[in-house]
Amino acid sequence: MRLIWWLATVGAVSLVSIFLSERGALAPVHNVTLTISAPVENVLRDAASPVNDIYTSIVDHGSLVRENEDLREQMEELLTQLADQQTNQQTINSLRDALGVKENRPEDKLLAAHVIAQDVSGQKRMIAIDRGQNDGLDEGMVVMSGAGSLVGTVAAAYEEYAWVRLITDPDSAVNAQVNTGVEQPRPAATPGVITGGEASPTAAPTATPAPTGEPQSTAVRGVLEGDLRPDVVLDLLPPDAKIEPGNLVVTSGLGGNYPAGILIGTVKDVQQRPESAFSKATVRTAAQLSSLDTVLVLISFKPARLEAP
Amino acid sequence: MKYAVAAAVAWFLAVANVSALSYISVLGVTPDFVLILACCWAVIRSEEEALVVVPLCGLMRDLLGSDPAGTALLGFAPIVLLAALARTQVIDSDFPGAIAVVAGGTLIFQIVQTSVLGATGQNIDLWQVIFSVMIPAVIVNALFAPIVYLPVRWLSPPRALAMQGGRRLTATLTSKS
Repeated sequence: MRLIWWLATVGAVSLVSIFLSERGALAPVHNVTLTISAPVENVLRDAASPVNDIYTSIVDHGSLVRENEDLREQMEELLTQLADQQTNQQTINSLRDALGVKENRPEDKLLAAHVIAQDVSGQKRMIAIDRGQNDGLDEGMVVMSGAGSLVGTVAAAYEEYAWVRLITDPDSAVNAQVNTGVEQPRPAATPGVITGGEASPTAAPTATPAPTGEPQSTAVRGVLEGDLRPDVVLDLLPPDAKIEPGNLVVTSGLGGNYPAGILIGTVKDVQQRPESAFSKATVRTAAQLSSLDTVLVLISFKPARLEAP
Repeated sequence: MKYAVAAAVAWFLAVANVSALSYISVLGVTPDFVLILACCWAVIRSEEEALVVVPLCGLMRDLLGSDPAGTALLGFAPIVLLAALARTQVIDSDFPGAIAVVAGGTLIFQIVQTSVLGATGQNIDLWQVIFSVMIPAVIVNALFAPIVYLPVRWLSPPRALAMQGGRRLTATLTSKS
């Protein structure tokens, strides 16, 4: 009998808590808990990170060597492209000045944040960061990696902390486009502004996504969805889309919740079925989402859901 | 005092789980040491303690996770019932019972969590959750259970066999001798 009463009490308290939590009434409690726990979490993450690196290097030695070779090749190609891009940018700037054309997003304001925790429930892909409403964060704001590729959006913002929903979370949906014929990431054209002082100054030139303006004519649009796997699925693509592994995937800007042109990753494989109305592609994310230490929150871009009256 | 210790350990494990231990990924999931602690404590120690420590563990997990607060509190509650069942076992060791409670508790918690997340609007792909999360979590938590079981067992007084009831084989043999 005592157990039944205990279960009924715990059940009732739990349901009330879930209800209050969904209404945001328990946000101050979460904020206080994270404030108390954050220093310990930081110490433990810093301590575990080298151990994890050693473990990963032992377990994944073969793939790391291959990845290293691939990255060297990619870097060489990128440097070549960067040199061309810088020359082109100078031409574009001078033409823009001459014509008086405004830049699409002249200066992004990015806020650096440390990752302090990661949801381990298995059914979500979320991380906690040490920036919150007091730093100007709001739900829906776009979060990028230190190198400027898409990581996710702010799912819940407390006073000092926030939970970020990664693009691999089952609840994440991003309007994206595949830039067919482009197989390497484009370097950013406009330096961004990083506030908070915790990001490396060298990250600034690559932190801002390239202002692309109107989607390119070679772009194929779809919706990027997470599904608990490390890779994400780009769905609702036209059945006759000519997409190949290696093509770049960026945000399309449709819907107004993400700025256009943020790098998401590259196409890994394409599933085209004649009987299906749409084709799908698996996308390998550019950011290493499982081992993020520092992220950048794009505080100058207000998503459509925040701008709506 | 023992509840303060339990709360401190649960808090530390909850913090470690979302920070340092989040790097550990076995079969695609991270072992849930808070749940394992709740199960081991409930099996090894008395029911009176379980009635306090299990909700404490749930509370700590709720406060440090991203699920709606109350999910772990609700999901951990059946652990007390499972532990009560485990106490009726007929062998003279609570280790198999603890492992069984960890496995059963994990499964029930996963079911409760999936239900709560689904009810609160989270997109759930049931088959993927079952095969990518639930089953691996049951196996992984059971595998990692000894890491928590041994310290809890070591810090707990041995059970008085007379209190176990006559259904234990050793209890009957002991009383005859």
